[in-house]
Amino acid sequence: MSTTTLDSPKLPTARIASINWSFCAIAMAALLASPLVLGDYYLHAMVLAMIFLLPALGLNLILGYTGMLSLAQGVFFGIGAYASALMSIHFGTGFIVNLAIAGVAAGLIALPLGIPALRLRDTSFVMCTLGLVVIAQMVSKNWIDLTRGDMGLSGVPRPRLGFGDMVFTVIKAPEYFYLVLAVAALAVVGFYALIRSPAGRCMVAIRDNEQLAESLGVPTWTYKLIVFMLSAVFAGLGGSLYAHFSTVVSPLVFQSYYSNTILIIVLGGGVGKVPGAIIGSFVFVALSEALRITPELRMVMYGLVLLMLVFLFPQGLAPLFEKLSERLARIGKTGPEHRS
Amino acid sequence: MNAIDNTPMLRIEGLRKNYGAVAALQGVDIEVKRGEVLGLIGPNGSGKSTLFDCCTGLQKSDAGRVLLKGVDITGWPMNRIAREGKFYRSFQKTVVFPTLNSEENLVLAGQMSTFPSVLSTFWIGPAAKRRVAALRERAQTLIEISGLARVAHLPAGHMSGGQQKLLQFASMLMPEPELILLDEPLAGINPILIEKVIQSIEHANKTLGVTFVVIEHNTDVLMNLSHRVVVLHQGTKLADDTPEAVVANPEVIEAYLGG
Repeated sequence: MSTTTLDSPKLPTARIASINWSFCAIAMAALLASPLVLGDYYLHAMVLAMIFLLPALGLNLILGYTGMLSLAQGVFFGIGAYASALMSIHFGTGFIVNLAIAGVAAGLIALPLGIPALRLRDTSFVMCTLGLVVIAQMVSKNWIDLTRGDMGLSGVPRPRLGFGDMVFTVIKAPEYFYLVLAVAALAVVGFYALIRSPAGRCMVAIRDNEQLAESLGVPTWTYKLIVFMLSAVFAGLGGSLYAHFSTVVSPLVFQSYYSNTILIIVLGGGVGKVPGAIIGSFVFVALSEALRITPELRMVMYGLVLLMLVFLFPQGLAPLFEKLSERLARIGKTGPEHRS
Repeated sequence: MNAIDNTPMLRIEGLRKNYGAVAALQGVDIEVKRGEVLGLIGPNGSGKSTLFDCCTGLQKSDAGRVLLKGVDITGWPMNRIAREGKFYRSFQKTVVFPTLNSEENLVLAGQMSTFPSVLSTFWIGPAAKRRVAALRERAQTLIEISGLARVAHLPAGHMSGGQQKLLQFASMLMPEPELILLDEPLAGINPILIEKVIQSIEHANKTLGVTFVVIEHNTDVLMNLSHRVVVLHQGTKLADDTPEAVVANPEVIEAYLGG
């Protein structure tokens, strides 16, 4: 751990590092321009990355800012996917309604699950959330009237957006890319607003020292429950995007692979860092896709890369990107002086 | 000294707490008057910290009642006692929020008594911004008074033990408290900071009218600071008197102060 002295020029002075807006603008411009230069395959991978970003933001909120490791993000991702699929198949509802219902359904189901789970602490809480994954798998396989069991729900329609009399169906890869980008960008703004709010300060306080926070009047259990629900909302929104993207929802969405991927994104990207989940989602989905060139060794290689990352960047990739953006900002500031 | 009101701020009635076969508190009765500084002494394991824990809701007592300003707060959760009762405590091991700087630590400490509900803290509207701005202003004043300005930008976890102690004390003053329990506020800090902490306690008591209960092994300081001293021994109350009388009490000398 680096030691900090009084004379250190740059120190973390607040719970949230300031945003480098110019870096954000460049990144956003690059994303907006990517359908112009990238083929459908790469856009497909980027859509997947942005879909996984949503549950990862939720996990970053509960793990990175509130200090609780929940393995149930995959459960709420699946609930969002099923809610969206069921609404569109049975009621023919539009995309925005499905998206909203998926988020609300995941958040509301998190309430009765969170009440007993949040009575537990540390490893007991982690085990409990793992139990929720197993229960969700069983329910999705056996509640055949609703979920059609292992057959799953196929034929989930592509997103349909209505603007007055105009109805627009999102079919092509660039169209879906922009739709997911819009939802992901709004989710990032929402996430940032949450951690900037006074409640965000309470979350960090609970992570740092729950007993002290309690002694200063913070109803820690209530906050943890709300954060658990909010993290489920983020995951539910991601699930909805996934359902309309893949057009099939089956009990496979509840497999631990999804929860693990979400966890890897957050831990590898940088837990408790605003850009952590964003960087993680792009890097790890890209990595997973890039390793398709060696199908036999894909998962072995994936594991090896993860091990390397843990040793080389124990804080995740976010600090590396923060340094890079700071350096770019410094070059931007000193550039004109050098030229003159 | 601030005038002591005879109305009880805190009333502890027959408090009992067992840890398995060990009786930490065996029916303790204590009354703390509004505006006084009450010293609480006793050997290690006499039940002082357990008494604090049971009063502030950190631990559930096995029997007895705790009345705060006449209201029975027995069984209330710690956060409710703090928020509604304006009743705060420090811990034996100094604790601050290590990743937050001094201002953020203090704003957090004052936040729950400023915002009307938990849900209102999730929204950054103009009203919330005004509340936080007022808290920041108050935090800066306390940082100045506590002499922490030079290190205020540091994450609290990077501050020295004494500085953390001052920050912890300032945190308890943020929500405009009426009663504060201090668990060994002078332990492990240098003589200059000891003086600073004593001044802070006296200032809060005299000027702000805060009532204090202080556990402290530095008996010389505690006797000067306190209006009254209670001595606990093996979970029971051994003495409850003025500092002068307690110092002269043969039972207290034998059990705690020594010859």
